[in-house]
Amino acid sequence: MIGRHAFLRLLLCFALLFLTLTSGSASAQSGGELRFCLRSEPKTFDPLLVDDDSSLSIRYLTGGVLVRVNRHTQELEPELAESWKVSQDGKQIAFKLRRGITFSDGSPFSSEDVAFTMQRLMDPALHSSTGDAFRSGSGAVSTKIIAPDQISIIFPAPLAGLERLFDQVAIMSAHSPKKEAAVLGPFLVAEYKAGSSVLLHRNPNYWKKDPQGRRLPYLDSIRLDIQSNRDVEMLRFKRGELDLINVIDSDYFDRLAASSPQLAHDAGASLDSDFMWFNQVASAPIPEYKRAWFRSTNFRRALSQAINREDLSRVVFNGHAQPAVGPVSPANKFWFNSKLKAEPYRPDAALQRLQADGFHLQNGSLLDKGGNAVEFSIVTNAGSKPRERMAVMVQEDLGKLGIKVNVVTLDFPSLIERISQKFNYEAAMLGFRNVDLDPNGQMNIWLSSAENHAWNPQQKSPGTAWEAEIDRLMRAQASTADPKKRKESFDRVQEIAAEQAPFIYLVNQNALSAVSSAVEGANPGILSPQTFWNAERLTLNPSTRASR
Amino acid sequence: MLLRKMLLWKIARHLGAIATLVLLGGLLSATLVRLAPGFDADERELDPSLNAESVRALRQSRAGEHNILSFYIGYLRGAIHGDLGTSHALGQPVQTLLRERWPVTVRVTGVGLLLAWLLASTLAFTACLWRRSAYEILGTTVSGAFLCIPAAVLALLSVILNAPGYLAIALIVFPKIYRYSRNLLAKAYSLPHITAARARGLGEVRILACHVLPVAGPQMIALAGITVSIALGASIPVESLCGLPGIGQLAWQAALSRDLPLLVNLTVLVTLVTLLANSGADVMIHMLRPRDA
Repeated sequence: MIGRHAFLRLLLCFALLFLTLTSGSASAQSGGELRFCLRSEPKTFDPLLVDDDSSLSIRYLTGGVLVRVNRHTQELEPELAESWKVSQDGKQIAFKLRRGITFSDGSPFSSEDVAFTMQRLMDPALHSSTGDAFRSGSGAVSTKIIAPDQISIIFPAPLAGLERLFDQVAIMSAHSPKKEAAVLGPFLVAEYKAGSSVLLHRNPNYWKKDPQGRRLPYLDSIRLDIQSNRDVEMLRFKRGELDLINVIDSDYFDRLAASSPQLAHDAGASLDSDFMWFNQVASAPIPEYKRAWFRSTNFRRALSQAINREDLSRVVFNGHAQPAVGPVSPANKFWFNSKLKAEPYRPDAALQRLQADGFHLQNGSLLDKGGNAVEFSIVTNAGSKPRERMAVMVQEDLGKLGIKVNVVTLDFPSLIERISQKFNYEAAMLGFRNVDLDPNGQMNIWLSSAENHAWNPQQKSPGTAWEAEIDRLMRAQASTADPKKRKESFDRVQEIAAEQAPFIYLVNQNALSAVSSAVEGANPGILSPQTFWNAERLTLNPSTRASR
Repeated sequence: MLLRKMLLWKIARHLGAIATLVLLGGLLSATLVRLAPGFDADERELDPSLNAESVRALRQSRAGEHNILSFYIGYLRGAIHGDLGTSHALGQPVQTLLRERWPVTVRVTGVGLLLAWLLASTLAFTACLWRRSAYEILGTTVSGAFLCIPAAVLALLSVILNAPGYLAIALIVFPKIYRYSRNLLAKAYSLPHITAARARGLGEVRILACHVLPVAGPQMIALAGITVSIALGASIPVESLCGLPGIGQLAWQAALSRDLPLLVNLTVLVTLVTLLANSGADVMIHMLRPRDA
């Protein structure tokens, strides 16, 4: 009898323990409010017009896309589309959509919404940067609805890497009166206080479930405080008022790592690169002899060799950067040309190259063959401490060759005006924030006719043979769907970029981020958004959840 | 009757001057922004995903602002019809932005000003009443110290200490009020009739109310008008650093992005408030001035 009682008691205890554990684990995963900062006011909530970081973050959290590039594996994964197929000629993509999905306002999702989104996106009057990426040639993009769950999108010319572009296209509802407020992503915009914060609530109709069959996302809400000051952002993170910092500077990172190493995450080299270039524009208001230097491959290569990139990484970024190789970061697993290496620091070789072009040293100063002292200014944006420091270190490195470099920092609008409208500069140092893995995202940089062909934009015909070759290769890679052929073409572009050095690539900064111990499930990566790419699966620990 | 007419005439003159200065201020601001380097440059021009046509469209969107006179006339015409234009940087109607942000600035600068006046006048009055050199040195040192600290540093301190933004405004404005009002009160207290009143045994409160304030009051009111513009100026670093979504933060964003429609409206608004405060003070002084029967 006693034994039976003991057995019953034991059973009861196990049952209670089981209930406690299961309820505990369920509550540990659900609810709570995640908090982090946007560094500027979102310029738009229209997912098709997004072109700033803050709006991009909101679109990522609220927008439902047909396919998604996994920020960790860099592979394409199905989302609203179960499957897709690109035609052999690369002009058409057919999607098979998931059934039974509804927008946040309850309106059903179908191929009509995809057609509506694409038509709106490709409206020439919209001038959407997302839409421009799809413009492969003259002519309209058309859509063909085959069934409520099947659609084909037809482009006027082949578009390489077509399917990846859909990672940026948040599908809008064709029929919902709420338009952009009706979303298919894990969260929806619940409140926007201009200049202060954006509050996102869990989308009650979000379609995804976890392996246990529980609806995602786990979080109830996300509060995005608008805060441009990074000191304040770090202060608030340390106080526990914020849970994430998506991108932090190396100085802040090291300070955080010193006090709380478990909160600081260095995911390695990012896709972003810092570089400098020389003004080669024919109409630029610079002396002709300087333009001749800047147009000389030997001059550019020599200066590239005279810059100590290892030092830049070590001193400016405290080791949280890698010497840059070229237009593609080694972090871009597929497109990086692994045969290339970063230009080693060789001041002697640099001097030899310069001498081959008629430069010579006189009383410690480098003079060209016309007797002009080699002196130029580098313009860069004020307010970016790492870039200002890099410019100073480049100044020191080139000073060792007898070159006098003046560093000029300008606020961003003035800098843009100088480098893209008036061309009133000699050399510039900037960073390229690469969010697109595919080289098609760099077409407007490499084509000689492009606006962003920084060293000599909008050329009617390529000014040099190597620019003509790059034009040909970039067009070739863009017009074939064969990844191998595309890779071959773009590998050659990277080689030409290394041989000719129109851009002198300096460093690839590491993807540095901070994640509070209150957040569970975070896995910071190198692709944007680094810390919250898996926001739907992030959870908060019970104490934080209870306090919010 | 004559007095009333004079007052009305003074108010009318002030309103005329305000209207003229506001219009001129707006034009001046528009001209300065137009001439600023990087006026029609847009960050998005560097976006490699934008094609040439979109970049051209982006540049074209500001073409109407190149001729500043035609822009300003267009702006005034729109303003008469209640359309203040659209912000380039934030993509929202300026009217909406001002409506959303104005209350924050009113609250922050209002409470800050009130605190600054309370602190400064308390210190100044007690310094004059006590006439202890140690107390005076203390007051002068404290106000001098706050006068030396840049507004941005005080704003940053308030962030670090988790103090409200209005406290930073109060500490920025307080030394200016203290030093001026302390001098005014000291001058008033040194007048012979106040010495005589003290000698006759009049109470300090009565001396203050009946003999000091009538002398120093008008200038204090004028000072109050000026402190409104000082507080508005201080709201720019304070709101920007403390993350307060007010007019000051908006002005900072607008200046950084050369947002002409927003900057012109903000200049007009700040000019209007400053002039109204100063003119209000002037009219009040006129009304309070003792007159012969």
